[in-house]
Amino acid sequence: MSDSTRRGFVKNSAAAAAGMTVVGALVAEQADAKAAATSGPVVAYVRDPRTGEISVMAGEREVKLQDRKIAARLARAAK
Amino acid sequence: MSSHREAPAISRDPVADNTDLYAFVSPDDPGTVTIISNYLPLEAPYGGPNFFEFGSDVRYRINIDNDGDGDADIIYEFAFETQVANPNSFLYNSGPILSIDSANWNRKQFYSVTRISRGRRQVLGAGLACPPCNIGPLSTPDYDMLASQAIHTLPGGRTVFAGQRAEGFYVDLGSIFDLGDLRPFEQLHATFGLPSLAAAAGVNGTDNFSVHSIALKVPMSDLTRRGTTPTNVSSQDSVVGVWASASRQAATVREPWSEYVHEAGEWLQVSRLGNPLFNEVLVGMGFKDLWNSLPPAADKRFAGGVQHPELAQLLPVLYPGVFPNLAKLTAPRADLVAILLTGLPAGIVPGFQNSTGSTLADMLRLNLAIPPSSKPNILGLIGGDPAGFPNGRRVFDDVVTVELRAIAGVTYPLVNSSYTPDAAAGAVTDGLTPASVNVPFLNSFPYLGTPQGGYQTAPLGTV
Repeated sequence: MSDSTRRGFVKNSAAAAAGMTVVGALVAEQADAKAAATSGPVVAYVRDPRTGEISVMAGEREVKLQDRKIAARLARAAK
Repeated sequence: MSSHREAPAISRDPVADNTDLYAFVSPDDPGTVTIISNYLPLEAPYGGPNFFEFGSDVRYRINIDNDGDGDADIIYEFAFETQVANPNSFLYNSGPILSIDSANWNRKQFYSVTRISRGRRQVLGAGLACPPCNIGPLSTPDYDMLASQAIHTLPGGRTVFAGQRAEGFYVDLGSIFDLGDLRPFEQLHATFGLPSLAAAAGVNGTDNFSVHSIALKVPMSDLTRRGTTPTNVSSQDSVVGVWASASRQAATVREPWSEYVHEAGEWLQVSRLGNPLFNEVLVGMGFKDLWNSLPPAADKRFAGGVQHPELAQLLPVLYPGVFPNLAKLTAPRADLVAILLTGLPAGIVPGFQNSTGSTLADMLRLNLAIPPSSKPNILGLIGGDPAGFPNGRRVFDDVVTVELRAIAGVTYPLVNSSYTPDAAAGAVTDGLTPASVNVPFLNSFPYLGTPQGGYQTAPLGTV
């Protein structure tokens, strides 16, 4: 996915509800090593940016992270 | 309906929508149990060109509780894969489908069956073929033969079938959803000041529609806690709880200008079904989607709807003067709690019990030690036939009438002998029987009838 497409996608996705869903390298590069090692897409779900809790999903795996920095960065990217 | 389109969210997701669940000791193979879980409500047989199929993005499960806690001890999981031979063709089939491996069939489905117990996953079968839908005399000229080719033997004496079947659940949908009207008794309906109605015969609203069934036959010992074949009716070890479910992955992402849909994350339950009509009739509109996401072990929070069912309060209003005793019955309905949430303990019905203990959980409870009836009664236990609903459920059981009568008070004397049910409680019905089903049931696996062909089926008419 090109950067421009990804930015557009992040913007569109973030409009929905209280949560936020983003795709790809934005999170994968900083997420749990096992999740990042997957060859397929990675989905991150930030239910509430204030708590920093992030669910990172790849295949059937789901890893929960607690990282306020990443959550805040994603929230800023979505604005 | 039993559980067709019974909750707001799942009504928008038919491939994951559990519609009916059956569990019974196989009448032609009494050492085994047959469990049938149906999905995809109200399939019109002529619904092409993309005919009905299981969701390859759905995990289907049949769950067994054999220790009474409302959680699954044994799971049979079904995962489907769709294969398109020629993506450049718009056709489902390019010629007659004379066998399930026919090159003329462009869109085939295959599936795997995995048994999960104590954290151990055992693949029982993979690459198992589904039959096509029944399209018509040119496309599927010998449908029964195709269906028979889709009955697969699995290791351990197990048998499985997954594919289209005729809808066997009979119910007068059009009448019941018109403000609780029951055609045989509609001359007694309040009609809200509108012109009165004359009594009429029931109309089977699901007739000639199809569903997609997962049918599994297993030895009893595959289900029980100690791996035994139960023979003692009074033993709690003889009773298993059964429910079916469907799950989707947590996240779905669509990409712009693309057919690509990415799904990721844990499998989360979006539909379940134990007793017929439970979520439909006894759970409030605002909680039905939640109910679908939970295991039976969490059903304590829904007990209020069973103890004080809304329908029991409505019947005396809809049919003035017909249910005077029911109108005065305000005590919690311990009879319904026992039938639907715990099973009936010993001592209530002589020689019968299907209790799983004190945990409140909506499960279809089957006492495996009770043999099939040589003269089945479609009213099951309230008709004097302990091999029928609510001791499991057979394909022909009249669960609508049984539950209507139970809610109307006919079973309350089981827990309070001083209560006299209204005369109408023992007579109320939507007026249907298995004879109302156009397609006959089968006497052997998979028991549900041959689905109607699209060509052979006329669109809906009017009454």
